[in-house]
Amino acid sequence: MHPLVFIGSATVLGFLFGVQEWVHSLSWNYHMHIDLGLLLRAWGAQYFLWGTICWLLWMLLRPQINDGGLRTILLLFAPLSIAVCFVEEVIWVLLFPHLPMGHPNMHFWTRLAFQLDAEFVDSMVIFWSAFFLFRGLGYYQRYREKERTASQLESQLVQAQMRALRMQLNPHFLFNTMNGISSLMRTDIAAADLMLEQLSGLLRITLHRGDAQFIPLSDEMEFIEMYLAMQGRRYCGRVEQKMRIDPRLHDALVPTMILQPIVENAYRHGLSHINSGGLLSIEASRQDSHLRLCVTNSGRGLALASNGDNSGTGVGLANVRNRLRMHYGADQSLFLSEIEDRRVQVVMTLPLLFGSHSPETNTTRYGVT
Amino acid sequence: MIQAVLADDEVLARQKLRHLLREIPEIQVVGEGATAAETIDLVRTAKPDLLFLDIRMPDMDGFDVIGRLSETVGDSMPSVIFTTAYDRYALRAFEIHAVDYLLKPFTLERFRAATQRALQHIKNLRQNPQAQTGKAKNGSPYTTRIVFKSKGRILFLPVSEICWIGAEENYVRICTQSESHLLRETMSRIEEKLDPSTFLRVHRSSIVNLQYVKEVRPENDGDYGVVLRNGQRIPMSRTYRSRIKHWMGR
Repeated sequence: MHPLVFIGSATVLGFLFGVQEWVHSLSWNYHMHIDLGLLLRAWGAQYFLWGTICWLLWMLLRPQINDGGLRTILLLFAPLSIAVCFVEEVIWVLLFPHLPMGHPNMHFWTRLAFQLDAEFVDSMVIFWSAFFLFRGLGYYQRYREKERTASQLESQLVQAQMRALRMQLNPHFLFNTMNGISSLMRTDIAAADLMLEQLSGLLRITLHRGDAQFIPLSDEMEFIEMYLAMQGRRYCGRVEQKMRIDPRLHDALVPTMILQPIVENAYRHGLSHINSGGLLSIEASRQDSHLRLCVTNSGRGLALASNGDNSGTGVGLANVRNRLRMHYGADQSLFLSEIEDRRVQVVMTLPLLFGSHSPETNTTRYGVT
Repeated sequence: MIQAVLADDEVLARQKLRHLLREIPEIQVVGEGATAAETIDLVRTAKPDLLFLDIRMPDMDGFDVIGRLSETVGDSMPSVIFTTAYDRYALRAFEIHAVDYLLKPFTLERFRAATQRALQHIKNLRQNPQAQTGKAKNGSPYTTRIVFKSKGRILFLPVSEICWIGAEENYVRICTQSESHLLRETMSRIEEKLDPSTFLRVHRSSIVNLQYVKEVRPENDGDYGVVLRNGQRIPMSRTYRSRIKHWMGR
């Protein structure tokens, strides 16, 4: 609210009171003639003063007006209201030495006493009305402010989640899957349907995570299991999938999507070249103060894989390596090696840290209700 | 014959439902609503047994629809299956006793499971009209299903489908005949919710559903083990053996 609007409205209200008194004096035959101009000036000045004083108080005491509890009201505003009434009356009496009419040569203090006596309650009403008006206004402004920040935050969050989605979910994998769906649509509608549902599930989980840097191993494994379920359909039974996760490690924190590129590599460079009897195993175990993650796959071994016809060699692995280094410095390791009969093994170790995440913040469950 | 109404603002979504329902002869589609208002009118006039309801409708959300209906149609409230792309409302759906909650896009299999559940539910209601939804059946305080997110889906899992539950540190693993789900939950909390006449704690870290127990077998070391119908063995500890003896003696 602009100060001119506020003070202007107050002054207009004063003029209206002046007109009212003038009409009143005419219809009830006061025993003297009253000048309309004088009345308008007197009333207008009074309300102009009130408007100005209230506005100044609002400027000076905004926090107290907005948040003051009962104590502030009793200890600050109650005495203040009396003081303000007095000050306003002093100024007004100085401005209009000829009033009250019909009492010439009255002493200043007598006039002041007369006016205070006549108008004290009116003044109080004005003061407290202004006080509560400003207080309400403060509430409203703050409510609007809150709404605005909430909507800003929300849009920022959505942007962050979309960024996370782009970063986390390998676009390559996304489009391959879509292509798979498109080809299945022609031959096996139910399978295409299932793949679509699984892809939606993966996207949903990724969005839910927002841009959390670390997640519990159980969440990462949930994602991997879904990914494996999709791959399992693609490779229809050619690959046996094994998982061994030490239950004590479910809550261990791992960087988000740290395993997915490795599992994807296992399929792309190894398992995709076998017609049957493939094996993929994922293990999570504890090594002193470290978490050891191990992904083993059968296939073509390293020599064949590296000079093969595959695209994007090592991008996924380099990405994992970089992220581990950024998060843990030297306190981590990642080894890629070939063990017996063309099996490739990736072993990752990282510091064992546990998140303090309560069941309420876990996005993967609602639990029993 | 079971009559159903489909409510969704998207033509394609209604088409998919209609298409899938053709394969289920017991269900006959008696109307389709594209807005909440249309749906409310339809349910009032057609009085269907089953309502497939999208949560995000242009004029009101699905929960408002349910609220309006329960005010007006009262006892002839249809059973509800929510179909939606959002997973935030599952808990509310659970609270208003929805039969199931299908996340779009859903598969035929998932759809079949939901409709089977609905058919069963409606059959129970017809046989026992006093057992209105919203009131605990026969006053039992135990939960009849649990709801949780797993693998990007939302499952309204009837407890009768749980074979056994195993503890894994701060988590429990819920095993059905076809799948297992990891939930961040404690054994004691989940045990409280389950009916002890069906679910028995046989070990510090396992609860079995007695409907799936084939036999109790002595092991070599003088202890016993529980064998489930699918051949899975679950060890039993002495502490809990008295309970199972008590149950066997009934």
